[in-house]
Order: sequence, then structure tokens, then C-alpha cells
Amino acid sequence: MKIEVFAILKEYFDKEFEIKDPLKTVEELRAHLAFLNPESSNVLKICRFAVHDEFVADHYQLTGSDNVVVIPPSSGG
Amino acid sequence: MEYITSKDLDLVALLQQSHHPAAGAVVLFSGDVRNNNVGKMVDFLEYEAHTSMASKMIERILNDARKRWNLNIAIAQHRTGKVRITESAVVVITASAHRAEAYAANRYIIDRIKHEAPIWKCEFFTDGTKEWGGNCNCHKDTGNINKHIYEFEDIL
Repeated sequence: MKIEVFAILKEYFDKEFEIKDPLKTVEELRAHLAFLNPESSNVLKICRFAVHDEFVADHYQLTGSDNVVVIPPSSGG
Repeated sequence: MEYITSKDLDLVALLQQSHHPAAGAVVLFSGDVRNNNVGKMVDFLEYEAHTSMASKMIERILNDARKRWNLNIAIAQHRTGKVRITESAVVVITASAHRAEAYAANRYIIDRIKHEAPIWKCEFFTDGTKEWGGNCNCHKDTGNINKHIYEFEDIL
């Protein structure tokens, strides 16, 4: 699946990258990302995930063709 | 209207478009970039957004405001890219028959944009350091990344 990250997460990961491991849920993806870069784990804990422009919950079932966006807490305004 | 733009926000033009024959009150909020934060001097800010999600979310927030209050005008625009000191990073304009509704709706809209829309600022300080800053930290109090504490709740 393709992953895209924003803002502070770009300090831990490439802006876009691909994960080939067979991850089933958002919860597993969050843990996997923290495993790839342990320094990101505190930020990842408070990130939301989105697929097709909609936020998805931790139990959301991922497929290999999903484009997943990782959204840190907002800091607009 | 483009909700997210990399161009300068034209507050005067937006205000000119925001007069309505049934509205006796127009409120314009501009979130300006200031030269200091947490005791450090700020050089400029850079904003990043997930444009399609942020646009949809701002539209949803404006529609929610229109349901809550009787508004003649409700618009909002947020910048991306480099925004300099005193420039506007976000603008919200509301117009209604009387001022109470325009003020309340304006505060509701900016508050929800700041907490919910996938938009982020990076502060560049005059000492050469930078920091992704001003994150919504509501989860520390609510225990839920989807639950926020809004300023507008104090006044409703």
C-alpha cells in the first residue's frame, strides 16, 4: 500500500513511500510505522489515518491497493 | 470559492463580496502571522495542507454553521506556503441580520478549522531554527484524538 505523510511526520519518513508487508488494519499500520522509526511513535499515537479522503478508525481493514494518508494533529490558523 | 490557496488572501476583495441586503452585521476574522511565539521571535510561517480533505472539511464546517445560525454569508479561506509577519493566514467572514449570530458563527468556524482541518504550520524563527508548532493538544484532556475543546463552547 502507498503511504503519504504530512507536516512533522516528514521528519521521520519520506513524504510518500510504499509498504509491502501484509498489514490488515490501521492499528497494525500504526504499529508498523512506529517499528520502522521508533522516534515517530509519540507522534503516531496522536495521528489520524485517512483513505479516499475520509478518516478511518483503527479497526479499518486495509487492502494492498489502499493509499493511506497519515494526518498529525491540526495546527492551522 | 477555493478554501485552500497558495496565493495572498485578499481581505479587502473578500469583504467587498460579503455585503448582503438582509445582513446588518458583517464580521471578518483574519488570523495574522505575528512576530513572536513562546518567547521566540518568528521570521515567517509555512503552512501545509491536505488540500482535498481540508477543503471538504471547511465546506462541512461552513454548512454546519449555516444550520446553527441564520447566516447570509459564510466564507473561509486558508493559506498554504510561506506567510510573512502581519500577513493573513486564514480568513473567516460571516454576515447575518444581527451581530450576535455573525460573531458566534465566526468564532465557531475558525475554532473548528483550527482544531479539525488537516492544515499544519511550521514556524521559522529568526535564530534559524524551525518547529512544526501549535498542534491541537485537546487529546491530552479529552483522551480522544477526535474530541476537541472549543473556545466557542464557552459562549454558546
